[in-house]
Amino acid sequence: MSDFREAQNQAHPNKTNTLMVGIIFLLIGIVGIQIWLLYGTLNNALSENQGFALAAAIGSFVFFFLALFLLKYLPDARGKSRRN
Amino acid sequence: MAYNSKEKETPNWKKDFPVKKDEATHVSRREFAKFLCLLSGGMALGNGIIAIKSFAFPSKELEGEHFICNTSDVAIGQTKEFIIEGEKNIPYLLIHLSEGKWRAFEQKCTHLSCAVRYNAEINKIECPCHKGFFDADTGTVLAGPPPRPLPQLSVHIKNEKVYVSAYKESKTIS
Repeated sequence: MSDFREAQNQAHPNKTNTLMVGIIFLLIGIVGIQIWLLYGTLNNALSENQGFALAAAIGSFVFFFLALFLLKYLPDARGKSRRN
Repeated sequence: MAYNSKEKETPNWKKDFPVKKDEATHVSRREFAKFLCLLSGGMALGNGIIAIKSFAFPSKELEGEHFICNTSDVAIGQTKEFIIEGEKNIPYLLIHLSEGKWRAFEQKCTHLSCAVRYNAEINKIECPCHKGFFDADTGTVLAGPPPRPLPQLSVHIKNEKVYVSAYKESKTIS
């Protein structure tokens, strides 16, 4: 039984590269936003602004789970996809 | 199946150093994406630890009045550095602005914690590291990179002696 990934690979064999680059750029964007949140948290927690620290921590965890979710769409390694 | 059996024979060290260039770049991008995800997890963890720490261990307000010096020890336009012993040893700067007008600010710049100093000529507190300027009267930022005003203490004069206590907005400072 074929799944979505297999069907995509068969229909668009050269799409792997685009997908990989897209995911990496999204991940870089996520990490960039998290760095910004961390910087803001450090700055605000120091001045006892705890509400911001909590909101930024929740936001950062949401971005982390988004990054984990994106890994699901990482194309298979070349050797493995050849076998398919 | 022949391909699979051949792959099984390939030792692990050979898999780690693929001979074909395209295979090498392909694998490294996968690893890079996973590393970015790991980095993202680290950021989230760091952010969480800071939030938990700020809730679990909130900084305590200064309690009581602390004697600093006699009024005759600091002339007008002069300053005195002092530290209040406690949970954290924070350096403070006592400034004698004019007759009967005293101020006490934390000596750490709110930008990158450089020691600030009072410049009597321009009546401003300046940070020599990145040219940040604070109002000597209120501690608000006048110029430069500092993001917040200098934290300050209330100054009380009793019997020609200078005391400091936690700053409260409503209190009138003499």
